[in-house]
Amino acid sequence: MHRRDVIRALTTGLALPTIDALTPEAVWAAGRAVHERIRGVRQDEPLLVLTDHHNAMVSVLAELIIPETDTPGAAAARVNRFVDVMLAEWFDEDERDAFLGGLVTLDARCVSTFGTPFPGLGEEQQTVIVGALDAELAALRQAELPTEQHFFQQMKWLTLYGYYTSEVGATQELQQVIAPGRYEPCGPVRREASGQWE
Amino acid sequence: MGMKQATYDAIVVGSGIAGGWAAKELTEAGLTTLVLEAGRTIDPAVDYVEHVPSWEFRFRGLRDRQALARRQPVQRECYACDEAASTFFVDDVDNPYTVPDGKPFLWIRGRQVGGRSIMWARQSYRLSDLDFEANARDGYGVDWPIRYADIEPWYDHVERFVGVSGEALGLPQLPDSRFLPPMPLNCGEQFVKEGIERAYGRARVMTIGRAAVLTQNHNGRAACHYCGPCHRGCITRSYFNSVHATLPAAEATGRMTLRPDSVVAELLYDASTNRARGVRVIDAVTHEEMEFNGRVVFLCASALESTRIMLNSTSERFPTGFANSSGELGRNLMDHTMRAGASGVIPGFADRDAYGRRPNGIYIPRFHNVTTQHPDFLRGYAFQGGAGRTGWTRGASLPGFGADFKHTLREPGPWQMSLGGFGECLPRPSNYVEIDPNRKDKWGIPTLRIHCEWSDNEHAMRRDMAVTAAEMLEAAGVREVESHVEDSPPGLTIHEMGTARMGRDPHTSVLNGYNRCHDVANVFVTDGAAMASSANQNPSLTYMALTARACAYVLDQLNRREL
Repeated sequence: MHRRDVIRALTTGLALPTIDALTPEAVWAAGRAVHERIRGVRQDEPLLVLTDHHNAMVSVLAELIIPETDTPGAAAARVNRFVDVMLAEWFDEDERDAFLGGLVTLDARCVSTFGTPFPGLGEEQQTVIVGALDAELAALRQAELPTEQHFFQQMKWLTLYGYYTSEVGATQELQQVIAPGRYEPCGPVRREASGQWE
Repeated sequence: MGMKQATYDAIVVGSGIAGGWAAKELTEAGLTTLVLEAGRTIDPAVDYVEHVPSWEFRFRGLRDRQALARRQPVQRECYACDEAASTFFVDDVDNPYTVPDGKPFLWIRGRQVGGRSIMWARQSYRLSDLDFEANARDGYGVDWPIRYADIEPWYDHVERFVGVSGEALGLPQLPDSRFLPPMPLNCGEQFVKEGIERAYGRARVMTIGRAAVLTQNHNGRAACHYCGPCHRGCITRSYFNSVHATLPAAEATGRMTLRPDSVVAELLYDASTNRARGVRVIDAVTHEEMEFNGRVVFLCASALESTRIMLNSTSERFPTGFANSSGELGRNLMDHTMRAGASGVIPGFADRDAYGRRPNGIYIPRFHNVTTQHPDFLRGYAFQGGAGRTGWTRGASLPGFGADFKHTLREPGPWQMSLGGFGECLPRPSNYVEIDPNRKDKWGIPTLRIHCEWSDNEHAMRRDMAVTAAEMLEAAGVREVESHVEDSPPGLTIHEMGTARMGRDPHTSVLNGYNRCHDVANVFVTDGAAMASSANQNPSLTYMALTARACAYVLDQLNRREL
């Protein structure tokens, strides 16, 4: 069955007499072709909220949380762009102000500790700062206090979400498969995962 | 006002799970049928987005939060109203309704060809005589005019076409369907199932959900490929909905006229014949008014929309609403009560995981008030739920960052198991809808004011769900068990029903045992409005069976020239 015929068969009211011959890859490819035709993939946009300086801070913080290892990290996944869109179009105004205020506070803290704003620090000093932020979060959790107001909770959540739902994160790090084609109820843990990819 | 005259053998209002069945059955029996759908047409090639990967969505599946707050503040409460599927839910600004202060009711609606059958959760269960006899047994509501034997062949009939996967159990309170092979339980669920068996024997049974999702090719539709988000549509038509199955069957007869963007404002009553002669329609796009005539009218617009149409159809004969001589139209609103249960961690299976996104969970059929009476509440509930391993999202509440953190999140987290109850709601006249004279929708049609709240019986049931779920999980060997009872306003289960109930007595019910209006012989209501009690089972399968049964009755009556 040619792919064009597969697509036609799948998207009309016709019965599917040859459905047995369809591999999961064919099903996925057909669905993807259909969807790409109507959705397209978004092109790059200019930064919406973040200044170049804050964009640099977010980029560094995200890469420290999810660095490049045997797979690409947050920078390659362009997590900073995801954070920018979320700040601009998803967050409420007060949430956005709180996050941007968190970046300002972080810079001030770096200046008072190391004499330099965050982006200008070496990786070792940046790691020390992020370690301190993460320890503050852990302390809040330990004390069963709310963490949502803490800047680093927001930063970490946005980084994880932005990374694992990106093409890099989903396909390379998680090796997600969109149409597994079967359900195996109790197999070995495998790299090729199928958990929710969003 | 533009007037369009056309006469059909039958008019079906709504193209969702009930309307699709009415269209199929009536056209296949030879009737020319007009199907009126308030919403837009659906083209699977364009509208189905289940394979669009997360990174192609602007908010990556986190939903367009600000747009939802502006236009869908009610619809967003439904889990399925996500970034891909929110277009299948109504715009709350265009489709208002009101509630009294302090009595929230969440009315989740889908207006498009296929209606909510596109986003439904596909769980499919038969009712039993435990359910059909419930009202007569304890005195709430009126007795159902039918018993299981009346509907059993119609469950058979619709299941053969729909394709319901599941496991036969032979339980009297939950009759088996004509099943396709069941989906398997995963390792965690199998562990809990065996634990429950050890603790409770056959008194409490865990099984895989009974789902209108194909486990093998069926009637020209393909077996599930386990991609996961069914509510976004299905390019292989592996789950049942009107667009995949019933409407194409009706279309194939050449006798269906499907008219989308057709908002039915009222039924047109003909006093000289005591019949409905047709419906008045407002075109959703042009706002043009028109009328259509039919010998028979099926209301399948969803429980509250069908009731709203009837309440808006007043005449000298029926000043309080169409076929409402009983005064029961709009009353006895029900929904299933949920969001109470328990969850915990399953020990072991660290080296095992499931592969594929199974669009189904587990089911524990009702076990309370089956053979003995619970001291705290009438009727019963079932548990739904499932087991799975947590993924990267757990990272947001774990300490750590950097390469080690990333590698930790690459591995799946612990096995977790959750149970949540779905409980029967008593039919009570104090839960009701009426027309709000001060509020009209985008098309100028008066909207509903919905009065609904849970009674002590549902509250007691929810408390028991939490306690009992925790007991059962602990008995099965699940650890770190925590129970919960969360606020869950009526409506959110999206099993709203009961506002034009069936019954034996025209003085206390709107519909007879064939879903026909007691007062008007050519109008049938076969969606959730007809339900005399709610049972605890997910109701769509019953709406399908009742619809097919009512269609067969119509054909019989037409053949006898009695309609």
